[in-house]
Amino acid sequence: MKLSCLQENLNRGLALVSRAVATRTTLPITQNVLIETDKSMLKLSATNLELAVTTWVGAQIEQEGSVTIPARLLTDFVGSLPNDKIELEQTSRPAGIHFKCARFEAQINGTESSEFPPIPSVEDGVAALIDPQILRTAISRVALAAATEETRPVLTGIKLEISGQQFTMAGADGFRLAVYKGPLIEPIEEDIEAIVPAKTLSEVQRLLGDQEEPAKLMVTPSRSQIMIHLNNIEVVSQLIQGTFPNYSQLIPQDYTSRAVVDLQEFTRATRASSIFARDGGGIIRLHIAPGSDSSPGKISVASRAEESGDNHGDIDASVEGEESKIAFSARYLTEVLGVLGRGEIALETTTASSPGVLKPIGSEDYVHVVMPMFVQW
Amino acid sequence: MRYVLHADMDAFYASVEQLDNPKFRGEPVVVGGSETSRGVVAAASYEAREYGIRSAMPMATAIRLCPRVIRITPRFPRYREVSNQVMRIFSELTEIVEPLSLDEAYMDISKESLDAFNLEDIGSSLKSSVKERTGLAITVGGGTSKTVAKIASQMAKPDGLLLIRPGYEQSFLNPLDVGLLWGVGPKTESILKQYGIDKIGDLADRDDDWAYRILGRRGKELRLRALGQDYSEVSTSRETKSVSVETTLTEDIIDPAILRSELRDLSDKLALRISRNGLRFKTVSLKLRLSDFTTFTRQQTLNYNTDNADTIFELSMGLLEKEMKPGLEFRLLGVSVSGFQESGQLVLFSM
Repeated sequence: MKLSCLQENLNRGLALVSRAVATRTTLPITQNVLIETDKSMLKLSATNLELAVTTWVGAQIEQEGSVTIPARLLTDFVGSLPNDKIELEQTSRPAGIHFKCARFEAQINGTESSEFPPIPSVEDGVAALIDPQILRTAISRVALAAATEETRPVLTGIKLEISGQQFTMAGADGFRLAVYKGPLIEPIEEDIEAIVPAKTLSEVQRLLGDQEEPAKLMVTPSRSQIMIHLNNIEVVSQLIQGTFPNYSQLIPQDYTSRAVVDLQEFTRATRASSIFARDGGGIIRLHIAPGSDSSPGKISVASRAEESGDNHGDIDASVEGEESKIAFSARYLTEVLGVLGRGEIALETTTASSPGVLKPIGSEDYVHVVMPMFVQW
Repeated sequence: MRYVLHADMDAFYASVEQLDNPKFRGEPVVVGGSETSRGVVAAASYEAREYGIRSAMPMATAIRLCPRVIRITPRFPRYREVSNQVMRIFSELTEIVEPLSLDEAYMDISKESLDAFNLEDIGSSLKSSVKERTGLAITVGGGTSKTVAKIASQMAKPDGLLLIRPGYEQSFLNPLDVGLLWGVGPKTESILKQYGIDKIGDLADRDDDWAYRILGRRGKELRLRALGQDYSEVSTSRETKSVSVETTLTEDIIDPAILRSELRDLSDKLALRISRNGLRFKTVSLKLRLSDFTTFTRQQTLNYNTDNADTIFELSMGLLEKEMKPGLEFRLLGVSVSGFQESGQLVLFSM
């Protein structure tokens, strides 16, 4: 293999694939990046056996070839080079690459590419096309609700359902549930159903960057892998096997109190309360009071620190139904408000020990169900 | 100077029965379930004890030891009523009363006993008040710590009064069997005996490091108790630490379906009891007794608090399934929950 490319392009490519490089592994070669020529491009791949990321970098190919190089060393070295043309020449004894860039030269030793684990390709199967902006929003709003502990593996995944003209993503960790529904660019002929690791989707969200081309999702017929094709990037991930909880029955259909508030005000009051909640069991107490003829309704957001003090902040709300009190985990409340951005949201509650529901006003695409905390009022 | 009393109502349930039914007085009386329902002795009158009957003994054994024994089914509401009466008398003496059960309590009389010369007066007037107002005999032990007070009352039973004066703790404790120390069960006792520790004084003579090496962190604590240096306070408000229910099966059971349905009933009963008190648990423990009386517990802790009956059932059933082996027969099942919290995250669905 012999080729040249721009440092800037190689650097960007390595940054994209490096997140899939294994950190702790029993298979040392997965700490390497696979470098190979692919038609007139330089192809970079990395895998930790659960997730694989491949990208292509523009290059002038003089001679075909392939080899694997330790990812960390390669990324750090390329990152330190000036933005200039880099010449790469494969060496066979030892297997590696010789680099030349401006007045720098280096030899990095690696391993034969034949030892690199094969990266599965998803060629056949139904493909769904999703607008990149919508996919980013969807992932950011559901991934936070997925479990991080491995006690029940399916809950570390996001349930993905694609049918007709719509896709649904749901995350649930037992304490909260987030469901997002979004449109497809074109209707799909066959339904897709899979549990995708939340970590994979968070990587996809990062890799999407500001790309404008639609993302293409495909699942292998055996339903063991998903491929997500982005502009110049391919992500292949193992799917989680198992049964995801039947989440639709967990979404309350009724409420006794519904408060509509400005998201930014609610976020500010919640942040202030979170500071006190840190030393008070992480509890934020909400007191939702309907308005009267003379005064508007409000939500009082309060927390107490064990010894250092307490706080409360009032925000205007249009409240329908009864006065109510409910306490939430400061973390859960902050996280969901954080992914909702701007606008108005509705908080629907029933009792202090039944789930609260948050929904953005003006769209039907997102529902967040969060279980309260029990407290001594 | 701190001074603690330990009061113990003698053969409590049996004494209440003898009090309420004059014809039982002077007779061997036991309170507990019938031998056909595999009951055990909850309390035995002093007359019954002369036959070797002890509490926790299977009823069938008690009847074998004394065929003319009078067996009475427990009447807990009545015992509670009498207990409340007695506790009220205790609280007239001092406001610092810590009830341990229906028939036992600690009292801190540090304030009342400033003049240590009147200790005997305090103790005997407490005994006579209880006798006059309820008709029951109690035993009172006293000392500068809970340990000394409790051992003193054990030594003075029945209807006794034994107050250890400040400064005499060690001379009182030293010659006593080490098994009398609170926290020394049969297992610890046999370990201690292997090292030649028979008396409380033998343990007091060893140093902290030795106690730590042999019994771990607990060892140091036990040694301090052996020295009469137990600083734990008489606490008036006892938080609920655990709630338990258990059932002695009508016959030894192997059939998983029967065990399952018993466990279901226990779980429902337990859930009802804790939810009435607004408690939410984190830990479920299963208590098992085999046909040979081997008793052990197994427990599991959740990462959240709940008061859900199904959760109690599923966790305890899971623990039971691990213990079921061919040929094992169970005679008692018990479930308890603990790890209560004032606040905590509720669950949307169980994981």
